[in-house]
Amino acid sequence: MSKLIHYIYIFLLACPIFFLSLINTSCTKDPVRQQVIIPPDTTPVPATYENGIFVVNEGNYNWGNASVTFLDNENNSVVQDIFMKSNSRGLGDVAESMKINGNLGYIVINNSNRIEVVSLKDFKSVKSISGLNSPRYIEIIDSTKAYVTNLKNNISIIDLSSNEVSGTISTSGWTENLIRFDKYIFVTSIGVFSKPSSLRKAQIFVIDTQSDAIVDSIETGKEPIGIVIDKKQKIWVLCSGGYDNYEANSLMRINSELRIVEKVFAFPNSEGVPSRLTINNSGDTLYFIKGGVMQVPVNSNELPSQPLIASDGRLLYGLAIDPNTGHIFVSDAKDYVQNGTAYEYNINGTLVRQFTAGRIPGSFCFTKKDAR
Amino acid sequence: MEPPSLKKLLNIRLLSSTHKLTILNLLKYTLLFLVFVIVSYTPLFVHGQNLRDTLNLPEFEIRSNFVLDNQGFKRSKIDSTILMPQLNANLSAILSQHSTIFIKSYGNSSLATSSFRGTAAQHTQVEWNGINLNSPMLGQIDFSQIQVSQFDGLEILYGAAGISRTSGAFGGVIDLVTSPDWNNRFHGTLAQTIASFDTYTTNIMAAVGNTSFQSHTKFNYSTALNDFPYKNDTGAVIYQHNSSNKLYDISQEFFWKLRDKHLFSAKVWYSDNDRELPSTVSQSDHSNDESQKDNSLRAVFDYKLVENQFNILIRSALVSQNMHYVQGSMIDATYQSYSWINRIRFSYNGIRNLTIKPGIDYTRDWVDSDSYDGLKTRNTTSFFIEMNYNIGNKIKTSLILREELIDGTFIPIVPAIGAEYRPFNKINLAFSSNFARNYRTPTLNDMFWELSGNPDLKPEKNYSAELGSTYNFQTKNNGFFVEANCTGYYSWIYDMITWMPQESSNLWKPENIDEVLARGVEAGLNIRLKILHFDLSLKNNYNFCRSTYEKISTANDNKIGKQLIYVPVHTFNATVSLERWKFYAIYNFSFISNRFTGKDNLSYMPAYNISNIIFGKNLGLKNFTLSLQLEINNLLNLDYQSIASRPMPGINYAFTLKLLLPNASRQ
Repeated sequence: MSKLIHYIYIFLLACPIFFLSLINTSCTKDPVRQQVIIPPDTTPVPATYENGIFVVNEGNYNWGNASVTFLDNENNSVVQDIFMKSNSRGLGDVAESMKINGNLGYIVINNSNRIEVVSLKDFKSVKSISGLNSPRYIEIIDSTKAYVTNLKNNISIIDLSSNEVSGTISTSGWTENLIRFDKYIFVTSIGVFSKPSSLRKAQIFVIDTQSDAIVDSIETGKEPIGIVIDKKQKIWVLCSGGYDNYEANSLMRINSELRIVEKVFAFPNSEGVPSRLTINNSGDTLYFIKGGVMQVPVNSNELPSQPLIASDGRLLYGLAIDPNTGHIFVSDAKDYVQNGTAYEYNINGTLVRQFTAGRIPGSFCFTKKDAR
Repeated sequence: MEPPSLKKLLNIRLLSSTHKLTILNLLKYTLLFLVFVIVSYTPLFVHGQNLRDTLNLPEFEIRSNFVLDNQGFKRSKIDSTILMPQLNANLSAILSQHSTIFIKSYGNSSLATSSFRGTAAQHTQVEWNGINLNSPMLGQIDFSQIQVSQFDGLEILYGAAGISRTSGAFGGVIDLVTSPDWNNRFHGTLAQTIASFDTYTTNIMAAVGNTSFQSHTKFNYSTALNDFPYKNDTGAVIYQHNSSNKLYDISQEFFWKLRDKHLFSAKVWYSDNDRELPSTVSQSDHSNDESQKDNSLRAVFDYKLVENQFNILIRSALVSQNMHYVQGSMIDATYQSYSWINRIRFSYNGIRNLTIKPGIDYTRDWVDSDSYDGLKTRNTTSFFIEMNYNIGNKIKTSLILREELIDGTFIPIVPAIGAEYRPFNKINLAFSSNFARNYRTPTLNDMFWELSGNPDLKPEKNYSAELGSTYNFQTKNNGFFVEANCTGYYSWIYDMITWMPQESSNLWKPENIDEVLARGVEAGLNIRLKILHFDLSLKNNYNFCRSTYEKISTANDNKIGKQLIYVPVHTFNATVSLERWKFYAIYNFSFISNRFTGKDNLSYMPAYNISNIIFGKNLGLKNFTLSLQLEINNLLNLDYQSIASRPMPGINYAFTLKLLLPNASRQ
């Protein structure tokens, strides 16, 4: 009998393990959701978001960890994850780009299939625009409407007074970047997403913003991913050549009046895929990423052989020129599975500062100088 | 490549400084662990004197899960007492509730992959009766697709123990076993489960035979809408969309025994799984909804000759796996693989204290994938020898050597040595240790994926060491049984293959880039107590695992010394069961600590614990046993996500009506 008591004793002794473990985790009553560890900085939440630079962090596809980092010009501070701070919810899945219209910011969230319209005063969401088709970029046409490119089927027209989709322009495929010339919008079109490059028709659609109709198209190299317009009203298009290295990547110059390709710069080395074509505020210098950050004056007759800013082992991902200062903002996405870093360089390519951003910092958005 | 320095070895950062209440947590875990160890080994100290009368219990009476006689390599079992009440579950549920293997689940009956001892999913090999089921394309398996009703028990081979089966299973091997009961004449099971979210499961099993022939037939069919409610990121309650599934499995097995000398078996298992893949919490667009159809056919033929001094095993198997994946109008792809797996093993014990087991394995894989440029094949021949040598009756040693020839190229030899020491004749206490070097060849996707694959990848390398002890004690009358196990492991992986974004291309490509150090402690404690006709049992598993990145892969990389993403530091589960008057109640508790979602360990999924409970009653009727069972999962109705953005169900129920023929009460 004494033995029996002993065994019961051992059994009971074992039970604390069980109960200890219960105590240990009895606090998990809150929903179990992804948490971000905020470094022990006490960066104050800015009073407004009207003067600074937004870094839009894409986040990982399907992980729902897109975010926005704010570089506050007033306090010279960096504030992480401002959408979460102002709205107590995540931004969504794959934040592609952001544009400012007046006192509102439009953040295009690709895989969540929506646009978050935020007030620049407090970064609170005033509207979530739905009914899109995997949106990519937004361009403000005038005070009444904006166009949104989509991965599939069409371009969405947004009514800026109600912030709702008011119509579509059928494109039967993926449209990417867009710029304004006169009363027209030039949109790069990559073709049908699910098809290989050989079967994708790469072109630029010319859309009349008054009739919302495609009035012309211009054939380009495969995967025209970037489009800008320079001071002489020439349109520049950057073509990656196709995700499957279908052809050499190239930079094209298009006459915006005649709508013809005037010049093609084929890159000698098709290895490094170019991306993120952008232009400075004065419209005389192009920038893009190809390994490092390349700088090309619009009147140049050849492509530079050396980058202005070398990648130095970084995975340069996002690029933008601050229209107010001409400074170059470039981001390092690292291996995509950790927080990235953003860098600010001056016009000569000298590092001004660097700061931590969120997961996969992909695009930048600058508040207007006159807003200051 | 230099072996890790001592500094690195000792560099086990228990908890990152970013945890809240670090000291308190540390104390708690230390306390937990100490109690664990003390309790486990208490009988050893208390009953050291009284053990004389309990020695040499027949093996079959010991309901042991931790295999004591392991030649230095750790093995454990999950038997039918755990599987029977969960016939309607899949392997992912069983492993996450009853083992130290972390299962990364993308949702209810969605993709589930493993992290075994802090390694990647490709480092766990799943076998069915010794046949590899991992996809030759992915090198891993979806645990949610393996139905519990299709196997009778499973064996877990930890770390280097897997080298006796295969190379490359740095985490270990999980072997699903079906085995005949030669005393069986007829046994049938009919079970119907009705569960929450319109889930219906039917199980039919029949075993007929005599002392020399046995036939097993198993069939299961299940449909589910799986439209459980969850809170999305705006806090609104959403019903899961595009989440239904329909699956069935059918298997037939024949076992034939001739004069206790020749054993033949032939087994065929077909699975068909047709499911929709629900989108993440933050997706609201359903035009891109995904679906996946899988079907697999596995057939194996075994012949075993059992002589006094030697055994021969000859095995040949065919595995066909087909997957059809559709994403809206964007993707429609088919992946088909065939594997022809052959094994010859010889075992000779004619020399005193020595057993020699040489063998040859030959596997040929064919893959016809929409993402490859044409048909790809791979031939793997492995030469294998295992030698077990006993020094006296207290020390057992083993040496395993494996040499593989893959498409004409030899990978370096895979060696493992293990030793087991039993200091006492009358106490079931054993210490074991092993050292091994291992290699894993790249998967066919790593090598041949259209535009991204890298045929020049090198094999991954692994050095591992392990030290553990196992103890069990059982009273003469079977009224009390305790077993305990505590193992420390250390595993260093380099040239690990990771798909990396490229500077020169938009495509990700696999590279031999990562270096990972996985080390930890596993502890297990099982107790059974029979008192006043109550049958009580308590099973515990705990794993402490630090698995860290040890090499940077890009400039400014911030991952050195950081925990691998989605590998919890602490995994604990416990099962308490109680049986009396043919009633049974089983309570399962599992705890998963934080899992980081960034390699810089700056974001994480919080820890959670899940409780499940099963109540049942077996009614012994005249010609059969009727069993009624109610299962409540996620008892505390925790709103949780195991993987970011992938919702999991709240409290849910399953009711099972089971008919057992003939009258055979539950074990």
